[in-house]
Amino acid sequence: MTQQFDYKKFDYEKLGLRCGLEIHQQLDTETKLFCRCPANLQGTREPDFTINRKMRPVLGEMGTYDQAMLTEYEKGMGITYEGYNDVVCTYELDDTPPFSCNNEARTVALQIAMLLNANIIEEMHVCRKNYLDGSVPSGFQRTMILGTDGYVTLESGKKIRIDILSLEEEAARKIKTENRTNFFRLDRLGIPLVEVTTKPDINTPDECRECAERIGLLLWSTNVKKVLGSIRQDVNVSIKAGTRIEIKGVQKLGWIPILINHEISRQLGLLKIKEELEKRNLNEKDIPNKPIDLSDSFAKTKSSFIAKGIKSGKKLYGINFKGFKDLFGKELMEDYRFGTEVSNKVKLISGLKGIIHLDEDLNKYNLTNEDVKKIKEKLETKENDCFVLVLGFKKEVNKAMDVIINRVKFAFKGVPPETRRALENGNTEFLRELHGGARLYPDTDSEAIFNSEEEVNDIRKTLPEYPWVTIKLYSKKYKTEGRIIKDLIFTGKLKLFNNLIELYPDNPSLIFTTLLETTTALRREGKDIKNITDDDFFEIFTLLNKKEISKEAIEELMSLKADSPGLSIDQIKKKLKIESISTDNLKKLVNEIVKNNLNLIKEKEMRAKGPLMGEVMKKVRGKIDGALVSKELENSIKETLKEMK
Amino acid sequence: MSEKLKGYRGEGKKLLEKNKIEIWDIVQIKTEKTQYEGIILPRIEHSAPNFINIKLENNYNIGIKVSEILEIKGIGKREASYKIPEKKFPKNKDLPNLKLFGTGGTIASRLDYTTGAVIPSFTPGELFSAVPELAEICNLECEIVFEILSENMEPDNWQQLAEKVKDAANSGIDGIIIGHGTDTMSYTSAALSFMLKDLSIPVVLVGSQRSSDRPSSDAALNLINAAVVASSDIAEVIVSMLGSSSHDYGLIHRGTLLRKMHSSVRNTFRTINSIPLGLVQNRKIKMFTNDYRKKSKIKTQTLTNFEKKIALVYSYPGNDNELINFYIDNGYKGIVFAGTGLGHVSKTIYKSIKSAIQEGITILMTTQTLHGFVGMNVYSTGRELLNMGVIPGRNLLPEVAYVKLGWVLGQTSEPDEIMKLLSQNIAGEFLEREIPIAFNYNIDELLKSKKL
Repeated sequence: MTQQFDYKKFDYEKLGLRCGLEIHQQLDTETKLFCRCPANLQGTREPDFTINRKMRPVLGEMGTYDQAMLTEYEKGMGITYEGYNDVVCTYELDDTPPFSCNNEARTVALQIAMLLNANIIEEMHVCRKNYLDGSVPSGFQRTMILGTDGYVTLESGKKIRIDILSLEEEAARKIKTENRTNFFRLDRLGIPLVEVTTKPDINTPDECRECAERIGLLLWSTNVKKVLGSIRQDVNVSIKAGTRIEIKGVQKLGWIPILINHEISRQLGLLKIKEELEKRNLNEKDIPNKPIDLSDSFAKTKSSFIAKGIKSGKKLYGINFKGFKDLFGKELMEDYRFGTEVSNKVKLISGLKGIIHLDEDLNKYNLTNEDVKKIKEKLETKENDCFVLVLGFKKEVNKAMDVIINRVKFAFKGVPPETRRALENGNTEFLRELHGGARLYPDTDSEAIFNSEEEVNDIRKTLPEYPWVTIKLYSKKYKTEGRIIKDLIFTGKLKLFNNLIELYPDNPSLIFTTLLETTTALRREGKDIKNITDDDFFEIFTLLNKKEISKEAIEELMSLKADSPGLSIDQIKKKLKIESISTDNLKKLVNEIVKNNLNLIKEKEMRAKGPLMGEVMKKVRGKIDGALVSKELENSIKETLKEMK
Repeated sequence: MSEKLKGYRGEGKKLLEKNKIEIWDIVQIKTEKTQYEGIILPRIEHSAPNFINIKLENNYNIGIKVSEILEIKGIGKREASYKIPEKKFPKNKDLPNLKLFGTGGTIASRLDYTTGAVIPSFTPGELFSAVPELAEICNLECEIVFEILSENMEPDNWQQLAEKVKDAANSGIDGIIIGHGTDTMSYTSAALSFMLKDLSIPVVLVGSQRSSDRPSSDAALNLINAAVVASSDIAEVIVSMLGSSSHDYGLIHRGTLLRKMHSSVRNTFRTINSIPLGLVQNRKIKMFTNDYRKKSKIKTQTLTNFEKKIALVYSYPGNDNELINFYIDNGYKGIVFAGTGLGHVSKTIYKSIKSAIQEGITILMTTQTLHGFVGMNVYSTGRELLNMGVIPGRNLLPEVAYVKLGWVLGQTSEPDEIMKLLSQNIAGEFLEREIPIAFNYNIDELLKSKKL
């Protein structure tokens, strides 16, 4: 993710930037939150069964349909669930009511709530949060508030308030979309998850990044799943003149400042368009409500994709927006114009591939000047106007035109409140309408859950140190940079480090290097480092401690273990014929090599050490510490030189 | 209990009374640790007395412990009144005219979003706004007959329902849908099957396993499927519900051959000892057999008399005579045994069975294996029971046998007549033969291999 677009240095204070974070973190429990299925992801394993479902919008408490749910329904997507008999039960299929709440999960969540200085809710009520995208087979996620009114402290001492901490179920993981059907894998569904929501107290992009990092560190100092994808950040961004936008799926901390800057740019751009519309004296009421069917007039156009489309029964619809010249082409973020904004929404809701508008290069669609002239005539497009075309089957184009008309109408109001998805390039795209507040209602299938005072007090005694305290403490104790300790926490290896340092206290920096640099290097080489378990590291350092291997052998052992997960470290060691050489044997070997190279020594004296070192190392690499070899070799050459003299 | 403090008792009730706070009041609450603002909600019966329920501004509900509350202050009121919008159900003269009877149960219930209470509702207008597809299939009239959970259904309710069906059928309606709780749906379907004589139109019982307030509900699809079956030429009492966990097709079960086989899954109903009559998918019906009663113009009649003094008794190791003696002493007229295996009971209760028969009680034997016929000539136990006068119930499911015996004893008390009616195939309840796949058929697989 890079920041290439020429974003101005924004004055965040003047813009009234306010950001909030929603952080989701999976807990590392044995079983799921409301059923006793193992909480294990199955990766790419083939599913055992599939079932097909459809969701319908339900009426909200005020007797109306939630707009976000209707939008989702209008997409008309089918849903296929894929499951495994050993990790998915009828509960996940929404075919059995929930079982009791997982106490292991509740304990971890309580720890997190306390670390966030939150007020603990003693009687929790399970609520349902509706989701129509299919990611939860019941159509709602079970969630409950466990803590309120906490805070997290930034380096500067500024406190960011925590609004709520909830304990809820993870949704199913989306596998693919094919033939207008979303495929979800149910192994992830129901894994316990905490959601930490801050108040919009964050005022700069960097502050937002720091806050996300601090909450992340804090979560990772408790018993949570520490793998890629187990933590997800959503960022809420608003500026004074704009709207609150929720950006979902922020996978890396580093993305946060970039995404915020891009979003500010997009909102400012949309506000400019609003201003421009006012300046041009245009009115929302003049936006036409119906498109015009151009299919008959363009059945024989030279633009083959249009002609072919119409021949196959598709419709070409057009609409003219008076006074909109150049507005669809206005760039809001890098490589993202107002036209892109409209087109994205059309794609997602109608399933069409996109829209065609007058502000783009129409040659790429093979539309001739004559075609364009004809379109303008039919749509009555004047000099200052802009037309938009869509091609597709009747149902799709109707849907698409509704989206276009509504989105263009909203341009008069400014920034529509939306949930948007973070993209790799720092931009975002429309995901769904921002959910209203009325999506929660009580879960009638479960009873109240209690966090008793006694239990809370017991858990309070087991709280871990704050990670930023740990970082300071460790970096001082082991004479290393704070960054290294932070890396240990974020790679989930702090506990492993603690075990290894107890076993092998002499050389902490070797443990750091092994766990961080060596692992990263191997991963970059394409090795499957997941195959190197904590026990393997433990065994490697045990061998090291017993001087059965030297530190030079570590990388090779790890590399081979990554390739052959079936073998034990001991077996690999034997396979590599790594055995330690005793100091006596080393002496013998060194003396032998020195004896064979008397001429070289006579000629180069001490400078002979370099080439000879290479020769010795060829025979002992991985079997003994190089520093020891160097010392022995130096001694031996000195002795020999003495004897020669 | 006052509606204004619904569900509250003990400390919670005291606190609210003292501060003149009622449910639906918007309150600010200060506790030792924090403060809250929200709406006071009714409390669920039997929950802890020392908490009060509030809906926070973020819509989450929580309970707050009374002893932690320092101050509670009312600042307004917001009563949620939940109502489904009524839209007029359109009429189309080309579509069949159906009548829907509501009896209660999950399919007719909706959730009160604030309290979580289940509220019954079923007008055509509500149905149309919830399931607009129905208007593409039929014209619909609705009538709420009862609003009860099906576990509370009584033989009296079956009788009333049968009369309603008869009147509707004879008034020229094309088909009938009955919304019903799933718990005792197969009892009602069996009862209607026996009580409706010369049935001229389809009568389709339908329910749902997931209430219609959830996006994943099976209610809408089950209703759509039921409307299609009710518009067909099958003049039988039918149950139509989803045939798999997928929202795909509904099965068409004969009212005397099915059973709820799972406490919670969507495809809970199975035809036992045979396969379903057919299926309904994408608004089309596919029959697996032609052996069903066709629609006609004859007049539907009712025979609704029902003897309620019928016991359904499970046979199990440890049965004793006292159990049967209780029924004898309390004037029961019939006993259905869900016997073990081929239709057996322990010989320890022979004595009371003999006395029961001497007292004129009719005893009908079925099997608790549900699958298979009773076979009372195979072992001495069966032969001894037959010799005592126990009547073999062939392939009848215990529940269907219960309903049939109650209905037969409601029609006559003449022993010969009783025997005649019991052995007569009144409503397709008896099977001549058990097809080999009946025990473990899987409709999905049969469809996939095109064997249906």
